[in-house]
Amino acid sequence: MSVVDHNAIELSPRISEADVADYIALLKPRVMSLVIFTALVGLVIAPVHVHPVLAFTSILCIAVGAGASGALNMWYESDIDALMSRTANRPIPRGRVTRPEALAFGMTLAFFAVMTLGILVNWYAGALLAFTIFFYVVIYTIGLKRWTAQNIVIGGAAGALPPVVAWVAATGSLSVEPLLLFLIIFFWTPPHFWALALFRNDDYTRAGVPMLPVVAGPDATRLQILLYTIVLVPLAVSPWPLGYFDAAYGMVALILGAGMLALAINVYRRREGSEALRATRRLFAFSIFYLFGLFATLLLDVVARAIAPLVW
Amino acid sequence: MADNRQPDGIVLTEAQKKSRRQRSIAIALALGVLVVLFFAVTMVKGPAVLVRPM
Repeated sequence: MSVVDHNAIELSPRISEADVADYIALLKPRVMSLVIFTALVGLVIAPVHVHPVLAFTSILCIAVGAGASGALNMWYESDIDALMSRTANRPIPRGRVTRPEALAFGMTLAFFAVMTLGILVNWYAGALLAFTIFFYVVIYTIGLKRWTAQNIVIGGAAGALPPVVAWVAATGSLSVEPLLLFLIIFFWTPPHFWALALFRNDDYTRAGVPMLPVVAGPDATRLQILLYTIVLVPLAVSPWPLGYFDAAYGMVALILGAGMLALAINVYRRREGSEALRATRRLFAFSIFYLFGLFATLLLDVVARAIAPLVW
Repeated sequence: MADNRQPDGIVLTEAQKKSRRQRSIAIALALGVLVVLFFAVTMVKGPAVLVRPM
């Protein structure tokens, strides 16, 4: 005899009304666009000829892998996303997509991205993409983010890997150039995200995320932003004197680096009121332009070299 | 006499039907892209597609 009268239970399974746009939002399209751009640069600066179909396949797999990471990040962080104004409109907090749906979507995309890159391009790149997704989801999202104020410092490695994956996809091996790109993004991440954390401090405090401004306070964060920028700027210029990238890149890195440093000093000096808020917003916006500018210069340099023989 | 009883099981609303159709089309397109991708890479690599060094 059954203890529970099953006929008395009204089964009302949830029927999804999520449309394609909700699933695209799970991929974090804006983050994905930066990943595509940096991976494209990693691919084109590789000193080998890559067939356009294989290049497209590599970039597509890296992009889908990044999207899968975004979906898995939203699956795990839906509770804190609901508490922060910046993320409250994401598909899971809005009730458009359930957590199991996001998990299944992310895992499926991650599987296909890694396997396709491994089968069609090479297994070194496939393995590195798998490691990148693992690092972002397990090490950063599940491990570090709610545990330490150094979350985005260590987790920044995941965001810095796409150009390395692309280089490995093109060449099948590693070299100094992609590692320089990795280091530039790695040291760029803390000033960028801590600037965001400074003007979104209330959000992170409400959600209980131990970002540096929440744990150590705004002034300590301003100092850390300045210190990381002091490391970042010469590091970004260094490929020029070391002979890896040419003078055009060096000049752009110097000019943009001067801007980045000036804005970081401004954030360090202005600590009160609307001026402090404006200074952090400016640094945050400029840091995106800074990274885009450095990588765009490398891309344009390759394009210029390719078309120069046709023009002259 | 007409049978006015509701059909058994789950009846989808128009919004649910529309979103399910959208999702089905997106999955079909993604699978189509995957097939074309594998075909194109096989054509590009030729016999080398069978060479799989680790």
